[in-house]
Amino acid sequence: MAMTQVEKDQVHERARHTSYDVYEIFVQASDLDPHVHVGSLLAPSPEWALQLARENFLRRADAVNIWAVRRSDVHATPDDPDWFAREFDRKYRDVSGYADNARRWKRFKAQAMNIDDVIADVRKE
Amino acid sequence: MPEARREAFMARIRRGEKIEAHDWMPDDYRLLLLRLIHMHAVSEIMGAYPEKEWVPKAPTLRRKMSLMAKVQDEIGHGQLLLRVAEDLAAPLGRDRIELMDDVITGRVKFHNVFHMEAPTWADAGIIGWLVDGAAIITQTALLDCSYAPYARVLKRICAEESFHMQHGESIILSLAEGEPWQREMLQEALNRWWEAILFFFGPPVVTDAARRMMEYRIRSRTNEELRQKFLTRYVPRIRAVGLEIPDSALRFDEEAGLWRYTEPDWERWSRVVRENIGPKSQERIALRRMAHQDQAWVREALVRARTAAVV
Amino acid sequence: MAIEADARVRDAILGGLALQLADEELFLGHRDSEWLGLAPEVEEDVAFASIAQDEVRHAAFWYELAEACGFGQADALAFDRAPSERRHAALCARPNGDWAYTVLRHYLYDAWDAVRLAALAESGDEVWANGARRMLREEHYHHLHMERWVVDLGRAGGEAAERLRGAFAALLPDLPDLAAFAVDPQALVDLGILSRPLADLRRAFVARVEATLSRAGVPVEEIAATLAAHPREGARQAAPHDDAAALLETMNGVRSLGAAVW
Repeated sequence: MAMTQVEKDQVHERARHTSYDVYEIFVQASDLDPHVHVGSLLAPSPEWALQLARENFLRRADAVNIWAVRRSDVHATPDDPDWFAREFDRKYRDVSGYADNARRWKRFKAQAMNIDDVIADVRKE
Repeated sequence: MPEARREAFMARIRRGEKIEAHDWMPDDYRLLLLRLIHMHAVSEIMGAYPEKEWVPKAPTLRRKMSLMAKVQDEIGHGQLLLRVAEDLAAPLGRDRIELMDDVITGRVKFHNVFHMEAPTWADAGIIGWLVDGAAIITQTALLDCSYAPYARVLKRICAEESFHMQHGESIILSLAEGEPWQREMLQEALNRWWEAILFFFGPPVVTDAARRMMEYRIRSRTNEELRQKFLTRYVPRIRAVGLEIPDSALRFDEEAGLWRYTEPDWERWSRVVRENIGPKSQERIALRRMAHQDQAWVREALVRARTAAVV
Repeated sequence: MAIEADARVRDAILGGLALQLADEELFLGHRDSEWLGLAPEVEEDVAFASIAQDEVRHAAFWYELAEACGFGQADALAFDRAPSERRHAALCARPNGDWAYTVLRHYLYDAWDAVRLAALAESGDEVWANGARRMLREEHYHHLHMERWVVDLGRAGGEAAERLRGAFAALLPDLPDLAAFAVDPQALVDLGILSRPLADLRRAFVARVEATLSRAGVPVEEIAATLAAHPREGARQAAPHDDAAALLETMNGVRSLGAAVW
């Protein structure tokens, strides 16, 4: 379903002759958040892209950082449904695969632990 | 081969899958989307002009800032939609400069409402209240669009439109609660805008393009369905603030479950849009020419500056 | 008695300063807002509109401060005062001109505003100091934005640089009045509102713009010269009304319809 390499090259070629570049904009809401893609804009340079990104994308949201990345520098997975294929269950590596722990602890008159309790406990004075 | 590709694409559409910019798509899917989104983008930008006239004259500091923010949002929506249109147009060799030139050459159309005059402050209120109200309904109906980039941008646009709704209602509430001459100004503005707002949803005839867009799940509702939704929502509200709707034939037909109304002159309004012959069409296109073509020197300067030697 | 009179004199001076700052921010923000839908590119239109809104927001802050000094209600101060009562620097009310004029005017105004806000931020009055500090932080983005415009237009050469130099020539005569106060700056220093005298602020202004304007290829040395030629030590004379009168007539286009709530 994806464009052929020839088609992609043609788009890239045309883009290079256009004065402005497409910059993908990523915004970091707070220090504990990753940068998240919010859209794109046209700009003549990375510095302009950052300047313009603030008001084009953050009028109503707080942020601590913005990334502007020229679209040609973004590499994406191909349009290939099997690229992400996971068919068989992987419960062995998920909490949901250990639902029986609770029952088994009960026999020892104790409870199963969960990570949120541990975090709350360590944080408490 | 091409037929198989098209069939596979239609199967994706029917499964409710979303299409991305880099996916293969039939030419007419691309062209239908491009026409729709280009017109949407340009309408947002052209829609700034009637409202921006009232920024310098806004009667309080708060209204001044609020209207500035609203107009800014419209231009911002234009920016978001232009990017979507540009990515669709890129494989066709068309870029922003061309897409904006299309406004000046008349190759791309913009909604009838933005060809109209806005002679009083009440008009600014009616635009914020009812024109945005109508736009919210049409945009909401597109949120399930099969083309993901458009759907994503519409989600963002709808979130900002919620402020526009409050802003518009705040203005008209002040007029409705105010002096008799303010209420009169509001009624006169409604009289001016009513037919245009009804036409905004488009003629009731389902065109071939509309039918194809529904097959492609670009849109899901017909023009008439959306107009009916608007009437159901807004007629009671308009009457609630003491306004009279300037259509004596307007009534809800219980049996049919439909609003009956005096039909706008579909052909006349269609010509306004097709030929840019509204009272303000040429003046606003000229503003766009001024902004874009007359200021090419600025955009060119920024391109030269990035390679200029640092002093 | 003496204390009351002092308080009244203080309020009159501070109110006068607040009104000056408010009028300047409002007029500039109003001029900026005329660019809605007309900026050279769509992304810039959006960014510039935020700067315009900020100026009006800052004006509202100063009008509210004047209101607190007993001068009247903020909207009334903003809209109803006659052109002859306005206290702005002429530069703020000038019609927009082209994009080069607009960004250079904004750059120069913002530079002076930053210098005076920095002095106000050191004020003995917590309300003034706090307001000035917050405003300075918001103004930072304006400064970055306008500086980039001025430097890029200058470095681009050709038509852009020519228009920038033309804009500079047009703005130069307005700079002495910009770098001044509608109330006696010495009185402001005595009241502990301004931490530095006018001459210091003017020097700081020149220092602040020198490097940028040189990079932009603009004859920055002319600024110090024109400031020296026009010291403006006392209270600045009110600007000639024409621009303000036209601007205010437009601004009152709806309000003048009658006493009403909007």
